[in-house]
Amino acid sequence: MAPHSSQLKSASRTVHVRNLMRRFATKTILDRVDLDIAEGEFVALLGRSGSGKSTFLKALAGLDYDVEGTGTLETPGNLSVVFQDARLLPWRTVIQNVTLGLPGAAGQEAGRKALAEVGLEGREAAWPNQLSGGEQQRVALARSLVRQPSLLLADEPFGALDALTRLKMHDLLRELCARHRPAVLLVTHDVDEAIALADRILVLDEGHLIEDLRIDLPTPRDHGDPRFAKIRTQLLSRLGVETHGRRAA
Amino acid sequence: MATIWDADEAKSSRASSRETAYTVPAVARPVTVRSRRRLGPGPAIPFGLQIGPALLVLLWVAGSALGWIDPRILSAPWTVIEAFGRLIEQGRLQDNFVTSATRALLGLSIGLVIGTILAVTAGLSRIGEALIDGPVQIKRAIPTLALIPLLILWFGIGEGMKVTTIALAVIIPIYIHTHNALRSIDSRYVELAETLRMSQKDFIFQVVLPGALPGFLLGLRFAVTLCWVSLVVVEQINATSGLGYMIELARNYGQTDVILVGLVVYVLLGLVSDGLVRLLERRVLSWRRTLAS
Repeated sequence: MAPHSSQLKSASRTVHVRNLMRRFATKTILDRVDLDIAEGEFVALLGRSGSGKSTFLKALAGLDYDVEGTGTLETPGNLSVVFQDARLLPWRTVIQNVTLGLPGAAGQEAGRKALAEVGLEGREAAWPNQLSGGEQQRVALARSLVRQPSLLLADEPFGALDALTRLKMHDLLRELCARHRPAVLLVTHDVDEAIALADRILVLDEGHLIEDLRIDLPTPRDHGDPRFAKIRTQLLSRLGVETHGRRAA
Repeated sequence: MATIWDADEAKSSRASSRETAYTVPAVARPVTVRSRRRLGPGPAIPFGLQIGPALLVLLWVAGSALGWIDPRILSAPWTVIEAFGRLIEQGRLQDNFVTSATRALLGLSIGLVIGTILAVTAGLSRIGEALIDGPVQIKRAIPTLALIPLLILWFGIGEGMKVTTIALAVIIPIYIHTHNALRSIDSRYVELAETLRMSQKDFIFQVVLPGALPGFLLGLRFAVTLCWVSLVVVEQINATSGLGYMIELARNYGQTDVILVGLVVYVLLGLVSDGLVRLLERRVLSWRRTLAS
């Protein structure tokens, strides 16, 4: 692992993982994974399908009961998950979905504010299936935000959205993270998305973290920047995609 | 970013050039008639659902007026209407109706409450399921009619037996559909509730019960139908009042018109109660309609 991650003081780190193993039957999905995430750090986790990135996120979220595994895992109590599907309850209105399980008028007020922050002011009383896919995912972001998480886990949150909506959602997520400063672990298979958003990019391959790359480009990041293209080439080759003779986009 | 836009533009310009290539021959031979057949059944006919019943009534009227139908087999519509008036005048129809409706509503309410409690208990806990599901499935296998002799021995031939029979019949569809709906709540919502750290109470009242509501209402529709069916059964076997009794009595005296009045009332009761449940469904499940409208 890169030296900077293991040298983090325990006070300033949000996630602390050592020697994490996860197996399904005889297949090892995660093999001795070490990771520290600092407070407010935006980390993207890249990997091919089947590389174990979803298993890793589930382990961090504490959603993997039936999975065999060992290792040290420290995560904050107030973590929040954004799933690939918006996962809104269709029988609850937008505001009720945002404030699910939050008590009282204070929760209502916070929910209204969170909705306004994601640009859905005035849609409080709508049913989820009256919204577009992008809007539904914004409600899901508001639902996470309203709980003021110190760790936000996102499992390919924009994977089901069209390309234009996805670019808008990148801007929104960057803006929200800059304001609320949660630590973020974004699982994605989209290299451009990772470079556009993250402070640090990890690559997971067959259960091993094989890359830990700090991205120091200024934000917002220009996809046409030659440094952007260089990082993309480097990451794609780590993912086993040869970019030789291929156009950048 | 720039490359993405360029690619999109290139794609759209290519698409438009292809379009022009197609429009040229289309202008050359103007084909305006769409000859392709639609595979669907086509647009709905106005008042389509009423046409069939109206035709049947018309047949009945014509058959009776022209003397094709023997009045001993099937009374003429006007005779039935006369009988209707006569029965109301004597107060028999109202009295019997109130008696029947009370039995049905009482049985339905009791069955509804018990069925729902059983379903929720079995749906929310494994112990509840272990204790309840088996016996209910066994009860389901026994036709309600077959239980009546036993119920007569237990409760006599009074109201208790009749209401119990109806309640026992109603429990089954309510239980089956509610339990099934509770068990098939999407596991993704369970995962969501866990990540949101919802309390058990919030999870049940915000996620599980509202999610199972469509199943419960489907069960209710079956239950309402079954409740009328069981009512007819108990009233024709052992009763001294009620619509079923009125029909049985009319059979003894060969009064086809009174039998028909009873049947018409059953039809109205069935249609009205089903309509009420559907209205309830529409109001309670308004979140579902948004896609259809």
